[in-house]
Amino acid sequence: MTVMKRGRKSPDKKIIPAADYPALLPPARRAQALRLLRSNEMLDKANRVILMKKAELRGAVMEHVERIEAAARAKDWTLVFEMAHEIRGLAATAGLAATGQIANGLCRYLDTLNLLAAAPDVTVTSLHLDAIVRSARTEDDAARYGATVADQLESLVERKLGAIKEAATS
Amino acid sequence: MSGGAFEFLKALIVEDNPQMRALLRALLNAIGITTVYEAIDGDQAFDILRDRQPDLILTDLSMKPSNGIEFALQVRNSKTSPNPYAPILMVTGHTEKHRVEAARDAGVTEVLAKPVTAQSLFSRIAEIVEHPRPFVSCPDYFGPDRRRHRSKDYAGPFRRREDFENDLDIR
Repeated sequence: MTVMKRGRKSPDKKIIPAADYPALLPPARRAQALRLLRSNEMLDKANRVILMKKAELRGAVMEHVERIEAAARAKDWTLVFEMAHEIRGLAATAGLAATGQIANGLCRYLDTLNLLAAAPDVTVTSLHLDAIVRSARTEDDAARYGATVADQLESLVERKLGAIKEAATS
Repeated sequence: MSGGAFEFLKALIVEDNPQMRALLRALLNAIGITTVYEAIDGDQAFDILRDRQPDLILTDLSMKPSNGIEFALQVRNSKTSPNPYAPILMVTGHTEKHRVEAARDAGVTEVLAKPVTAQSLFSRIAEIVEHPRPFVSCPDYFGPDRRRHRSKDYAGPFRRREDFENDLDIR
């Protein structure tokens, strides 16, 4: 029996310390970079950049909303998932926080069903799709009714997924 | 305040959504990264990586035909990769556990969940600057150490195979 002390590496595993490969920035620039990234001035500037992009992002969300409606009519759940995924990525930055939250819930639901090879419940999907369309078109945000609807739909997804997982394991 | 600290850096954005690409480019420009290349999928990104050798990579996950996971695996493992140590920041709406784990196992340095905010993006870049992670090279993985926090004071329990092997190698 050979006893190896803690700290000895497995023979097939090599650790390369950060100092042994090229750093993103030379040491002389790191402090300056961190000050810049953490400054309120820079954050304000970046938030103004996002604000300027808002209308463009909202236009893109609306295009995806039209495509998700068409995909749902065609019962193309793969495309519905892809469009919901695009919407959840863009909506909050476009000022449509509730739309993003609802799209995220639909993604989570469809993704889990896909993993379990189960078919989506038409009530769950149609409630989400209807809420996505309405919240986006009424330019809803987290401060209005959309947030409440999003929370209720999240609870619905939790219940449905819980029931599906329980049925799958029993 | 100028963006002098980042002005010599080259970044690559891999994203199929044009609005998101424009947003990320604008945010990188704001901190002073002015040389920004763009690709719409992993294959195109790898070509740019070889030609332009960017220092920092921001990539989406879902893209066709080649996605962000496949691209990260190429960056880390391909014999033609010019910089297998390049920091890869995955900017994705896919926050499901199995997808985040897949990104981590492909060698992604940081994951940033969409929606993107300036604060979340800058904090990930700051993490890369301030705490560059050691790399692990073993037969089935090459990339940043996936055990992000190694406490010297951690007394156990040790459940991983390598912990066991390092303690007692019974032959």
